[in-house]
Amino acid sequence: MKAPNSEATPDKASASAKDTRNTGPGRLLIAVYAVFAISATARAGYQILTKFSEAPLAYLLSAFAALVYVIATVSLAKPGRTWFKVSLAAVLVELVGVLVVGALSVFDAVQFPHETVWSLFGRGYAFIPLLLPILGLVWLYRRRPGKRPATAGG
Amino acid sequence: MDAYFYIILAVGLISSGICLVAGILKRAPNDVTILSVAAVELALLVYLVGSIVRVISGEPIAGEAWEFWGYLVTAMLLPPAAVYWSILERTRWSNFVLAAVGVTALVMAARMNQIWY
Repeated sequence: MKAPNSEATPDKASASAKDTRNTGPGRLLIAVYAVFAISATARAGYQILTKFSEAPLAYLLSAFAALVYVIATVSLAKPGRTWFKVSLAAVLVELVGVLVVGALSVFDAVQFPHETVWSLFGRGYAFIPLLLPILGLVWLYRRRPGKRPATAGG
Repeated sequence: MDAYFYIILAVGLISSGICLVAGILKRAPNDVTILSVAAVELALLVYLVGSIVRVISGEPIAGEAWEFWGYLVTAMLLPPAAVYWSILERTRWSNFVLAAVGVTALVMAARMNQIWY
């Protein structure tokens, strides 16, 4: 697992000065995202290498979902305003993705075998894919750039 | 499901439970939670050695062999990674990170059983 380098983990005093999202609850979020990044990447790779022709659209989406998780994991671990925007974009795409793919997999079971992370709203993964972007957005809101208080999450 | 799976099921659930309670009690990771995750690693190691012995003694893997080993190796990387990640920042949240290991290992062990049989 590529544990994001935490040299940037600030001491409590300077936590507010830097835009970080990798302390407190953010660490749990990053850890769960990392697990999903790894498993989604492995699964998509496996699907595309072994049975791509069966459902190309679903497996391409699988790969796309994996990419989104990787970007979310990395951007959450990095400090700064730019990475915040990247995180926000990734988490929003993820939310839209899980909702759209979830709906499509319910209505069009032929194009979408229930085999992507986002199929059936992530039912195969205990609905965590549906929960993650929501928690991610809450966390990003609480750690949005320009916010004053230095409460390191409760 | 075989005995290896049930070992990881038990150890994983106990470990996740311990870490979850510690996190809820606002404790930072300590010897107990870190050792419980180490126990998960040990259970996976037993699975690894047992699987190697079974393959050498001629037992076939029903599914894709490389997929099985891939899962096992990845699962074994998780506990050390989580412990490292939790030592870097000793807050209650790191215990929740540690709690995720047992559950993840148990899901992966279930999948490995499906591949094997």
